[in-house]
Amino acid sequence: MKRKYFHYTAFLLTLILFVTACKEEEYKLPSAGTELKNDCIKRSLGPNLVGLNIEFAYAMALPADKGKIVSAQVEASIAGASSTYLENKSYYTNSGGVDIGIPIGDPSVNEGATTTVTFTRDTSAATLRYFYTIPEEARGKSVSFTFTAKSSDGKTVSQKMGPYEIANMDRTLNLIVKDGDASYISIEDMAVYNAADAASKADKIDLVYLYRGNLNSFTHALVSPGADPQYLPDIALPSGVNKSTKVRKEFGLRDQQLGNPKYGIYIDDVDFKELDLTDVPNYALNLKEEAGAWVETADGTYRAYIFVNKVDNAGKSMTISMKRLKMK
Amino acid sequence: MKQYIKIGLGVLLIAAMWAGCKKDYPVDEDGLLITDRAECYVSNFELLGTDFITVRTKNPVIDTIACTIDVEVQFGTDLKNLYPQFSLVTDAKLDPKIVGKVDFSDLEHPKVYTVISGNRKVRKPYTVLITVQEP
Repeated sequence: MKRKYFHYTAFLLTLILFVTACKEEEYKLPSAGTELKNDCIKRSLGPNLVGLNIEFAYAMALPADKGKIVSAQVEASIAGASSTYLENKSYYTNSGGVDIGIPIGDPSVNEGATTTVTFTRDTSAATLRYFYTIPEEARGKSVSFTFTAKSSDGKTVSQKMGPYEIANMDRTLNLIVKDGDASYISIEDMAVYNAADAASKADKIDLVYLYRGNLNSFTHALVSPGADPQYLPDIALPSGVNKSTKVRKEFGLRDQQLGNPKYGIYIDDVDFKELDLTDVPNYALNLKEEAGAWVETADGTYRAYIFVNKVDNAGKSMTISMKRLKMK
Repeated sequence: MKQYIKIGLGVLLIAAMWAGCKKDYPVDEDGLLITDRAECYVSNFELLGTDFITVRTKNPVIDTIACTIDVEVQFGTDLKNLYPQFSLVTDAKLDPKIVGKVDFSDLEHPKVYTVISGNRKVRKPYTVLITVQEP
């Protein structure tokens, strides 16, 4: 009996010992570095389209007693377009959540693929933003970046970023199509034309915009010139405008790069390549705001996604944006 | 002490035997429960387009005696790429299964879906009759 009580008591005491032994370690403040250091983050999201920017934030710092930052540069594997620049302001976020820029150097200079900022203000810590405007030469390729900072004590530090794939597709924003006016859409040109211009570009016209509020379930529509005449009411097409374009209706696909900054959805090259347009019609009726249409031209050369940014029933018009990929 | 242990084990044994003798409902080849229900009907029918928005112009007319579903779709509906959705009575299932888009374009030969009751003994074929709205 005594031995039993001894065993039970020992077991309980062991349990108590384990529980009290699991103490949380106190947090220790990290110690400051002693050398020039740098770090970089990519700020832009989504597919990298020609003409758009890839944005980075490049931070560099060294202890104040060691010296100051002399210069910062970025070298891209493919030279950016002429609007590529490295900010000469260092940003911090104030208590109101607003980013405040403090000029710390001369405006950046582009020499080939290298962009440099020379510091004119004594500072031992800075975060500079780099905007690489994707050039046409980079289409379908990958791009890498090397960020470098130099300090007055002769030290140099670098950080590599990438590689990043550059998309093959194109984009255009806010085309206005209007019934009876600029209503002829060319996927190849990513443009809209009126009847007179459409007549001279008949082989490029892929879709016609119509607004028929007096018909059931018609309203705003994108119809192939080659569609059944019942879907082209009260319109006389210019001579030669007769292509049959595949059209598949979509809704709610709010690509951020097509004018939807609140959303985090992106259409990329792969979406066009994997698109299945088997047995789809050559028209899309009753389109609403935030609707869309996947499109393939009659000869299969282009696939596009047309997003409806806005509809205007009274004005019989729509505002559309488009992403397009050349398939062959 | 031994006596108490024996009584405790005996109670546990009886409890285990009682729990083991519970009746299990059988399942069919699809892993669905076969129940006692004999009701067999469609309570609602929806039809979605490729944008997953309804293409019906109004509620369908479901005749549970004639076993037909009359539905009018919007003018210009792409009948080759539609997504039907059946609402069935409790425990019933549908044959054939709907696994993706369905081609309803052959209006001369409307599609037939069979509703199978919960007890798997009653089968009723429903014909989906589609009419397209005039412009």
